[in-house]
Order: sequence, then C-alpha cells, then structure tokens
Amino acid sequence: MRAVGSIALLLAGAIWPAAAAMAQTGEREPPCMECHKPRDTTIDPAQFARSVHAALDCTTCHTEGVDTFPHTSTRAAMPDCIDCHSGPASPPIDFDKIAQGVKASVHVKMVDPAFRCANCHSPHYFIPASRMTDASEAILAANKSCLGCHAAGDAPAAKGLAVAKLAEKHRLLFRPELHLQRNPCVACHTGHQSVHDILPKSEALRECSGCHAQNSMLVTKLYTHLALQERAERGWVNAILFNSAYLTGATRNKWLDWGTLGLAGLTVLGVAAHGIGRWLFARLRRES
Amino acid sequence: MRREYGAYPIWLRCWHWGNALLFVILLITGLRMHYLLPGPPPLGFRADVLIHNTAGILLTLFYCLFLYGNLRLGNGRYYRVVAEDLAPGLIRQTSYYLWGIFVGTPHPYPHSEARKFNPLQKLFYLAVMYLLFPILTVTGWALLFPDQLPDKMLGVPGIGLWALAHTYSGYFLSLFMVVHIYLGTTGHTPGALFRLIWSGDAGRPETPSRVRTPDLGTGPEVTTMRRLRPDKEHT
Repeated sequence: MRAVGSIALLLAGAIWPAAAAMAQTGEREPPCMECHKPRDTTIDPAQFARSVHAALDCTTCHTEGVDTFPHTSTRAAMPDCIDCHSGPASPPIDFDKIAQGVKASVHVKMVDPAFRCANCHSPHYFIPASRMTDASEAILAANKSCLGCHAAGDAPAAKGLAVAKLAEKHRLLFRPELHLQRNPCVACHTGHQSVHDILPKSEALRECSGCHAQNSMLVTKLYTHLALQERAERGWVNAILFNSAYLTGATRNKWLDWGTLGLAGLTVLGVAAHGIGRWLFARLRRES
Repeated sequence: MRREYGAYPIWLRCWHWGNALLFVILLITGLRMHYLLPGPPPLGFRADVLIHNTAGILLTLFYCLFLYGNLRLGNGRYYRVVAEDLAPGLIRQTSYYLWGIFVGTPHPYPHSEARKFNPLQKLFYLAVMYLLFPILTVTGWALLFPDQLPDKMLGVPGIGLWALAHTYSGYFLSLFMVVHIYLGTTGHTPGALFRLIWSGDAGRPETPSRVRTPDLGTGPEVTTMRRLRPDKEHT
C-alpha cells in the first residue's frame, strides 16, 4: 500500500507542474500532440499555442484518416480554408475578396492553379496582421510567408545566401537589404485591390512614391486598422510606421508641418516688411 | 577702384559660394523628399535621394575646409566674441536694425580688415556653424547608415529621432539663410556686401570708423567700408 502511495505521489509530482503551467497560460494541448512533438513532426506546440487557430482541435481541419495509424489523410483530402473562412461569416475580413485576389494572382496563374491559402499562411502558426500592434512584428510575419519559397534554405548559410541573392535582385532600391528587412514584400508586389493579388515581377511597384507618401501603401495595404486608430490620436500621418521606423515623406506630423511652414512664411514676410520699410524711409529722407 | 580685403581671401569666397550652392541643392531636394513634391523624370524621389546624399557628403568636406580655415588660416579670429562688448554690442546692433537703419544712422560695426562681423552676427554665426551645422551633418551621416542606428531612443524609433533632428536643424538653417541673404543687402549699397563676398572687392578707400569698439583694439585708425552716401563724400 505504501508502495502504491509512493508511485501515485511520484506520478502526481511529474504531472502536476506541466498541468499547472498549462492551466496558468490557458493552453489546452490537443491530444494529437502526444505524438506530434517537434522532434518527429513539423508542429511546434509553443508557436501553435500563439496562433489564431490555437483554440481549435486538430480534427477541425484534419478530418479524414486520423483514426488509423499510419494516417491515411492527404492534403488534397483536407477541407480548404475557405470552407470556414468565407463570406460575411468572418467579418471584418472579406474572404470572398481575398479569394478573388488569389485567383488573379501570379501564384495561381503561373505557379499552380490549385494554389492554396496554406501555401503562404501556415494554419498552425498564423497570426493575422490585425492582431499585431507593432508594425515590425507584422512585417516580419508577413515576409516569412514569402521568404519560405523565395529565399528558401534550411541552413543559416544557405538562407543567408538566398537573402543576399534576393537583395541583388532588388538593387533598384537604395539599401536593398534594409528595404527587404523592414518592408512587407506585398507592399510592392501586389495590386491596388488586394494584397493577395501577387503581381508578376514585371508589374511590381517601382516608384518610391508608392510608400514614401502620405497615403503610403505600407499602411493602406496591411495596417489600416492600426493606422486609422493612431492617425487620429497623435497627429502623425502614417503613425503606425513611426512606431518602428521613420519613412521620409510618409511619417510626418501635420502640426510640425504647418508650424514650420507658418514660421517660414513669417520670416519671409518679416524681412520683406523690413526691406520695404528701409526703402520707404530712404525715399522720405531723400525727399526731405 | 578695386580694393581687396585680406578678410575675404579666395579660399573663403570659394567656400562660401560652394557652401551656398550645396545648401540650396540640399534644401530643394530635402523639401521634395519631405513633402514628396512631384517632379518630371528623371527628377523623381530616387534622383532626389541620390543628389541629396552626394551634396550632403560634399557639404561635409566644405565644413572641414571651414574648420581648417578658422583654425589655421586666421579666419577664426573674426568669430571671437569680445565679452565686454557683447551685451552693449547686441543692444547697439539690434536697435540699429529696428530703428537706426531706417533713419540713416551709420552702421555701428562697419566692415573692416579687422572686423567682419558685428556682435549679433558673431553670436548667430557661432550658433549656426558650431551648433546647428554639426547637428545637421552628424545626423545626415547617421541617416546614411540607418541600419546602425538604435531601434529605440527615448521611447521612439532611433531612426525617427535622428531624422527629426536632421530635418529641423536643416529647417532652422534654411530660415537663417533667408535672413542672411536679406541682411546681405544692408551694406552701404544693397549690392556692396554681395560684391564683397563674390569678388573680395571692398569698394573705394574708406573713411575711418566713427564708432570705436573694443574688438578693433586701440591701434592706429582702421579703414572701414564707408557707410555714408558716396555722392556726398567724393564729389
């Protein structure tokens, strides 16, 4: 009896800290995770717990062939994201518009007619931009999707080489490495209507004024929800960008702009008035 | 009759006009970038950035020439503030600009070999050349390497803080330039000071200064540029 008691105590000691930790963070690890831990599979439980789908059971999406082992499910047999995310059921994001954008994109037209959301947005780790409060975090997350294919490489050296090649392709920009690090790819590589309408390379935005402007595409394409909120609060044009960067032509304070224009105007008026005064007095002196 | 001042040697005049040209280029391209003013190709944003960066680097070289000239070529002595004449000098010069200049009072600090600047001018030039200009130059160079700037400074993005310092030091220097150009018309004729800094020609032989001030010392009479109307003096 004493032995049974000791074993129970040991088991409780082993299980309790993990259970307590999970209870504390509110996480609920799906039962599938018992097998699908990072060592053998691609799922990172910590990242999954932060994702937008953390509250869902794995079987919400993995509906077929999960009862048997080895699993017989294939990706093609899985439901599409649009099965849940469509129409007015998921406001404020218009998934129908997103679907149209994807259909028009170069990914569908030139890469794969069956191009799926999950090719870019990992359903296990995805956090929508609308949930991010920091622009640099949102940029990093958005670009990760693109770089997964366009700067592919597992080892750091291979990845570094791929990024260097990518920078070389973007030498049209000043400091291309920096532009790539600090801007979302979709700012230049998508059409005006949708960030999901990925354009062919030849149609990408080449004008600096697309972003270095009051109506910067950086804001209108990804961070509208943050920009609208903050623009009103602090008087900064494109305030959200100013949270993490200063963008010439884009991050400006309207009060400073008006103030400086006013002071410059007063200076010019002041010297003009002084000059006219000098001329008038000199004329009076001459006449007298 | 042409009379050259030693106070305006050729290197100084070249520096002044080179500096002015670069500053105007920087001002125009800076404004175009800040307000994103549309321009016909190839003068778009990209060209503005390229021109602005190049002119900025050249301006730094010109600033080095200015420092060298002040330290080694004797130009620095003109900026030396005479403590005992500072307060009365500022008052004298300010009242001249506010009243005396209108009623024809002689300039309290006429130009001479020994004195180029009045006390008010010295104070402004010191603030401009040794405070605002270094801020503009250092922040400009920092912005050429934005990846080296700290992510956050004083709770805002590091690059933003440097860019604001750059923009507004440039802005105040531009205001200074407007006033500087205007005050250039306050010589004995509106064009006299421009001719002086362009060609070094100080005009006809001058009469002694009417106002003795401490910065001129107590030596023999110093010839100055004449402020009285030439037709009354030389006819």
